[in-house]
Amino acid sequence: MAVMAQATGSARPSLLRAAFAVVGRGLKINLRYSTWFLPYLVWPVVAPFGYVFTSRALSGPNNEALQSFARLSGTTDFTMFVIIGTTFWFWFNMMLWDLGGSFRLEQMRGTIESNFLAPVPKAFMALGAFVQSALFGTTTVCLSCLTVYLVWGLRFTGSVLGLVVVVLASIPSIYGVGLIFGSLVLLAKEVNALIFFVRGVMTIFCGAAYPVAALPGWMQAVSRVLPLTYSIDGVRVIAAGGNLGDVLPHLRFLGISGVLLLVLGFASFEVIRLHLLKTGTLGQY
Amino acid sequence: MRLRGWRHALAVFGAIFRKDLHVFLSYRLNAVMRVVEPVMWITPVYFLAKSFRVGGVNVGLDAYVGTSDYISFLVVGSAMSAFVSAVAWGMGFALKNEMDSGVLESNWLAPVPVWVQLVGRSLWSLALTTANVFLVGLTVWIFFGFKIAGAIVPALLTLLPLLVALYGLGLGLSGVVLLSNNANNVIDIVSNNITILCGSQFPVRVLPRPLLAMALAIPLTYAYDAVRGDLLGTRTLMPVTTERAIIAGLMFVMVAAGMAVLGRIERRCRDVGALARH
Repeated sequence: MAVMAQATGSARPSLLRAAFAVVGRGLKINLRYSTWFLPYLVWPVVAPFGYVFTSRALSGPNNEALQSFARLSGTTDFTMFVIIGTTFWFWFNMMLWDLGGSFRLEQMRGTIESNFLAPVPKAFMALGAFVQSALFGTTTVCLSCLTVYLVWGLRFTGSVLGLVVVVLASIPSIYGVGLIFGSLVLLAKEVNALIFFVRGVMTIFCGAAYPVAALPGWMQAVSRVLPLTYSIDGVRVIAAGGNLGDVLPHLRFLGISGVLLLVLGFASFEVIRLHLLKTGTLGQY
Repeated sequence: MRLRGWRHALAVFGAIFRKDLHVFLSYRLNAVMRVVEPVMWITPVYFLAKSFRVGGVNVGLDAYVGTSDYISFLVVGSAMSAFVSAVAWGMGFALKNEMDSGVLESNWLAPVPVWVQLVGRSLWSLALTTANVFLVGLTVWIFFGFKIAGAIVPALLTLLPLLVALYGLGLGLSGVVLLSNNANNVIDIVSNNITILCGSQFPVRVLPRPLLAMALAIPLTYAYDAVRGDLLGTRTLMPVTTERAIIAGLMFVMVAAGMAVLGRIERRCRDVGALARH
């Protein structure tokens, strides 16, 4: 270990250095497979496609049903409404694949045990996956906004500062959920089914494509405890001309839930890692 | 490499089917999600439809296609999309799986043509999709309710040639997957977007002109339209018999094109030794 520390020129093992090595490796692999970037460009444009045109069909050729939608959502602009929801949904979905997939991939490749033998604090893998996913995710969201602007021709007339603040405030809660999710993937040794389930729950309860007011009472109660509901609604409020003051309740909820979920995320990763080490099932798949 | 008669083909299909069944049953969580997931996709669209109802009726949809029953419209589209996806996934993703597991080369050494192996891989997927469509249909009927008032036999006259045509698409797609080394991206993008563009969720009449032109150029659009016309009595883009003739023509073109593309890519992969590369 001393020889390794000497070879890397570091006096003692560094958590951050190891975490950034995970990020660097992820970036290198992603750049190696050029087609992996294709979905990042294509999906944000086509993800709203189904919902937008379904809304148009349901609205009717002469917008016969548009007022019903407006009563529940507070807007007649269903395209903007849907695109905001699906962009956040896409971000959340990407995070699930990134975090859940990265831990699972280590298991599948048989490298998870050897990585945990590295002489650094063991949180490096969770921290690295978090930083990498947050970096890729936020870049993709920016790219999504650009492609949506170019392809869908939407113009965001609300406060850009408000938009940025809501997006930044959403990061801790989104990735907190991701870390808990990634840890569960390590335990369950199954990623696809878990992603489909969590993603499905979020799609149904967070009002990504429709106003939450369309849900029955008990489902609305569930949606009120999910941070993604506040992220999506916060951006919709800003897009409708609101300012930071109008989204303060959203920001408060996102801030508190973000801190709680991040702490829970790192803690659950640690607890599950120790459980897997004790039971000797870390490398099983 | 040639097949030694139909018994040989059946033996190959049976062996691949049993293997796929065994793999499926080993991952039980996945098996459960096969039923839960489609319902999860349909639920948001149900609530979207609910938010556009006037007096409990989707009058907007009625003005476009002649039915206000959006859930039935959606269920028929989703069921057909499940079959499109089953063939595309069943074939395209199978090759990538084998490539990742390192068994692609050894499987191709078996004295069985590649297209037979691919068709074999799709059989389990197809059987599962059929069972799944019925189960999901039942679940959606219990939760949301829908009504199929039309004739099923005429709808099958459209569905069966479509299924054969989809095999052609699957064969071609699996070749493309081999070249790109990335099944998820290619199949996800092609399969999802083609079905949506062709009207799996909405009538294509609502599309802007350039997209409508694209949708009308893809024969799958007429399959969705004809089957809905038969089952739900919706207004179709063309007479249903014309739409059926288009699908029948597509069947021959797709199978010939799929076999040609796969054959060409297979030869190339063998020539350059790119089979196990990923």
